[in-house]
Amino acid sequence: MFRCRRLLLVILALCASPLFAQDLENLQIHGFATQGFLFTSNNNYLTMKSSSGSLQWTEGALNMTDPLSDHLRVGMQLHMYQMGELGGPNVLIDWALGDYKISDQLGFRAGKVKVPLGLFNDSQDVDSLFVWILPPQGCYQVDNRDFNLALLGGEVYGELDLGRKGSVGYRGYLGENRLDENGGYMLQLYSYGFTFPTPPSGRIFGGDLRWNTPWKPLTVGSSLQYQSLDGEGTEGNVHLPPAFLQTYYAQWSKGRLELSAEYWRAQMTPMLLTEGLTMQITYDQRSWYPMVTYQLTKKLHLGTYYSHYVNQAADTSDPQNYAKDWAVSGRYNFNSNIYGKIEGHFLHGTGLGYYAQQNPDGLKPDTRMLAARIGFAF
Amino acid sequence: MKVTIHTSLMALAILLLPGVMRAQDVLIVVSRTSSISEISEAQLREIFTGTRSHFNNGTRAFPVLLKGGPVHEVFLRRHIGDTPDEYRVRWRRAVFTGQGSMPKEFASEAAMLDFIAATPGAIGYVSRIPDPDAIKIVIISGR
Repeated sequence: MFRCRRLLLVILALCASPLFAQDLENLQIHGFATQGFLFTSNNNYLTMKSSSGSLQWTEGALNMTDPLSDHLRVGMQLHMYQMGELGGPNVLIDWALGDYKISDQLGFRAGKVKVPLGLFNDSQDVDSLFVWILPPQGCYQVDNRDFNLALLGGEVYGELDLGRKGSVGYRGYLGENRLDENGGYMLQLYSYGFTFPTPPSGRIFGGDLRWNTPWKPLTVGSSLQYQSLDGEGTEGNVHLPPAFLQTYYAQWSKGRLELSAEYWRAQMTPMLLTEGLTMQITYDQRSWYPMVTYQLTKKLHLGTYYSHYVNQAADTSDPQNYAKDWAVSGRYNFNSNIYGKIEGHFLHGTGLGYYAQQNPDGLKPDTRMLAARIGFAF
Repeated sequence: MKVTIHTSLMALAILLLPGVMRAQDVLIVVSRTSSISEISEAQLREIFTGTRSHFNNGTRAFPVLLKGGPVHEVFLRRHIGDTPDEYRVRWRRAVFTGQGSMPKEFASEAAMLDFIAATPGAIGYVSRIPDPDAIKIVIISGR
């Protein structure tokens, strides 16, 4: 971990010196800020007191990028989020990298780089890109997203022209990531009585292949990932042997209509180790969703999706082992920078997004939710 | 009198029509010093969506944009297949995930043309060319 941090510092230092040496004419600064609201009929969701209506969801980011030469670009994005008990006022480095592009077919990024996983993993924390407020939670769990959003390490990427067969974009990565100190996984570990001087971390590697088919609006692809995790806690240790995650996706967009679908499968066996006791939990998580968005007018977008999650390794009739969600979304762009969204959710099952601390009286299997969000991006 | 009014209105319409048509015409332009004189529709799209960074002859390509307006909208619709909103989201996705930097934007065609004239590899779009000595039109092939 320290080696990775040192590597990141060296990269930033190397990149920063020419940055100051040149004029800042090409320096770009972009950012966004959002405020969300959740109201649920039953159960408190995502650590918010949502059954009473909660505004405790604020996010913001600011980034700077500068092309230092034809081939080299550097940049960094700072990010903060507060979602109920998750996140906090601390500003985190979302990504910070040097990007050396030899050609369109081959480039390298090093530092803290975003992880390509499925259609939206690397962009899921950028609200202004999407019609919906919450992405399909079966695949993109907002309370745990910071764990898998970025890694400290490197990435190789490129786009290969296949002529009449379209093109293939590829990304392969290797590095290390760690649990978000204020994220959902850590909150769960705290609830088991575990505390860690430093959050558990581990090796991660994987890749993404994306075929832009000759049937122009259609893109299909797949991402694979291996992830291990270890943490030494005061009360015990956590150990995740290499876990395998696979995703398959397709996206079709033409004119005002966009269709997307994904299938995810994650197999893992995390272990909690205390003196004289080993607790092992087996997961075989399967998630999928179909999604439709449609631009009704120049400023109004509508969308709907059905998200399905089930832990196939457990009793699939028990609501705590599945989460099904039908969502209907609307987004209105007031101008090119300011937008508002509203979204209805029909949630069934309690497998994702619920925490015992915020639901001390237990959980009901069904929840209706109304979400709203306003945002500003430049 | 009626005839005079109708005739005047028709004359006005005829006078205005070329202006409207000009506003919807989009010329793809590069610096006069550039060796690029022709580009395929697919390559143009790839350059403006960030998937291609060089012209066929190996020269680095720098796409530049207008901040808005009818010429910008027509260019995006005709050559990229995006609305301005879709195009902005496309680039914001790259910018906020660390995968790219937005093309340079200009508030007016005059400012864009000044930049293109002075920047080898810059490629943009305008409704007309006031100074053919500094700028040349690129022919789009494979339409």
